[in-house]
Amino acid sequence: MFEARLVQSSIFKKVLEAIKELLNEATFDCSDSGIQLQAMDSSHVSLVSLNLRSDGFDQYRCDRNLSMGINLASMTKIMKCAGNDDIMTMKAQDNADSVTFMFESPNQEKMSDYEMKLMNLDQEHLGIPETDYSCVIKLPSAEFARICRDLSQFGESVVISCTKEGVKFSAAGDIGSANIKLAQTANVDKEDEAVSIEMQEKVSLTFACRYLNYFTKATPLSPQVCLSMSAEVPLVVEYKIGEIGHIRYYLAPKIEEDENN
Amino acid sequence: MGIQGLSKLIQDVAPGAVKESEIKMHFGRKVAIDASMSLYQFLIAVRSEGAQLTSIDGETTSHLMGTFYRTIRLVEAGIKPVYVFDGKPPTLKSGELDKRKERREEAEKALKVAEDAGDLEQIDKFNRRLVKVTSTHNQECKELLKLMGIPFITAPCEAEAQCAALVKDGKVYATATEDMDALTFGSTVLLKHLTFSEARKMPVQEFHFQKVLDGLELNREEFIDLCILLGCDYCDSVRGIGPKRAIDLIKQHRNIETILKNIDTEKYAVPENWLYKEARQLFVNPEVADPTTLELKWTDPDEEGLVKYLCGDKAFSEDRVRSGAKKLLKARSTTTQGRLDSFFKVIPSENNTQKRKSEDNKKGPAKKVAKKGGTPYRGKPK
Repeated sequence: MFEARLVQSSIFKKVLEAIKELLNEATFDCSDSGIQLQAMDSSHVSLVSLNLRSDGFDQYRCDRNLSMGINLASMTKIMKCAGNDDIMTMKAQDNADSVTFMFESPNQEKMSDYEMKLMNLDQEHLGIPETDYSCVIKLPSAEFARICRDLSQFGESVVISCTKEGVKFSAAGDIGSANIKLAQTANVDKEDEAVSIEMQEKVSLTFACRYLNYFTKATPLSPQVCLSMSAEVPLVVEYKIGEIGHIRYYLAPKIEEDENN
Repeated sequence: MGIQGLSKLIQDVAPGAVKESEIKMHFGRKVAIDASMSLYQFLIAVRSEGAQLTSIDGETTSHLMGTFYRTIRLVEAGIKPVYVFDGKPPTLKSGELDKRKERREEAEKALKVAEDAGDLEQIDKFNRRLVKVTSTHNQECKELLKLMGIPFITAPCEAEAQCAALVKDGKVYATATEDMDALTFGSTVLLKHLTFSEARKMPVQEFHFQKVLDGLELNREEFIDLCILLGCDYCDSVRGIGPKRAIDLIKQHRNIETILKNIDTEKYAVPENWLYKEARQLFVNPEVADPTTLELKWTDPDEEGLVKYLCGDKAFSEDRVRSGAKKLLKARSTTTQGRLDSFFKVIPSENNTQKRKSEDNKKGPAKKVAKKGGTPYRGKPK
């Protein structure tokens, strides 16, 4: 038996918004410790890793590990039926072929439940090694979303270069070029609005804007976003999800053709 | 000719080992292409009004046309191709080659008959059967590839074996061929339909050797024996043993020696002097060049050279050749998107969950009944 109750169903709505453009379907792995999801987009360029800890839920029970293959478009339809203040409960039997979503209005006057069929997905799990990144940049998530949106007008790819002084995002294309520099915030009054950089080594990497724009769909989940980079490894973009967990996106860098030969 | 019926057998018995995908899914990967196979394909398929394309002097150019445009298509999709040409055929193949020669002669006769009768459909059919890849074709293609900046290798012996060696060494990701014996030679990944025409809209099929073995529940030696039973290019097969029978026998007896001891030789005619041991040896230890000594280098295309080579006598349109060369150059100058699965390794899925899933599939309807009865009791301990 699996049962998870979340007073703020809006969190789940936002999580779904954050992954549904990258993935068509995904397996939610439920265990005693919480709900996990790991999946690559269909082109194998990026990966989503979602972790919702069991202690972050208002009620959580999972007797047997359960893998739920879910079509995210269908799930979005169901989540649209929930009000923002509704209390949500997810339920499934062991070995179930369906999952039930229950929504209660805050005044307990309206109760609705939706059952959704599960799918058998054959999926590949990737082992992600623990990495000490050369640069860890924290910045306001809305700022990051804005930068990605603005730069994608100039070119397909954006170069992120990080030095002690700050971080530079640049793009170039047919109409010209664009550079955005962010310096570290000097005095931190409001933590949410600060830019902070921890750096061991300078890093400069190129990424496809398209994917960064998919990642920034997670912006409503957290006021801050954390970018981790090292030379020649995928970028990590992490959003904390309140007290309950996090969503991480991994993006493979673009490689200069000549190194490869 | 590859292994008879292997592709179908794998799809029937181990469907999990085959993945279908679009060509662009393979971007960023290096792929070894079995050149003789693809040239043959082009000679048959690239035609206009049923006849092969020819130069002013009547020399065939279908193979050049195919190689030029389809290579560009691969490069545009972000794939880096390496062509591997056949060397000398292995001595064991002489039997198969003799047979092919016989078939050609038959086809030639049949063509004559059809020509006399004026049956256009038949003429076309037998004309296609007479197609042969000659050393001139190979030579011309090598010249073209050099101008295009695409690397190629001439294998000491069989091209498929050399491709497999490149894949095993990690030099390239996969072998692209229609011949399934690349798997028998141990190529970890095989791509089918990669060099097909765009118009046919055939998805690329990806065969993973390990998954094939897991799916068939065989190890590599047993798999090789299975291929020999199915019928390969290097020795005869046993009359009366089809794909189904072959896999059952291998699963039961595990190798050809034991099978020979146990089957009814009256019913199944085992060929005299059956050279299965030699064929097996050829699959296990094929004659290949050491992949570590081979350097694969992709270079910029030589636009003027291409124009000079393809236009003029060979009658290619200059505009199209130039735009092709530009495409090749463009694909080289842009940075390529890395693949995430080249950074993080796939963890083999745990067997437990796999098993549970397959059980789920089997007892789908039964489970529903159990659930209905089960729910009220489950609620009680609360």
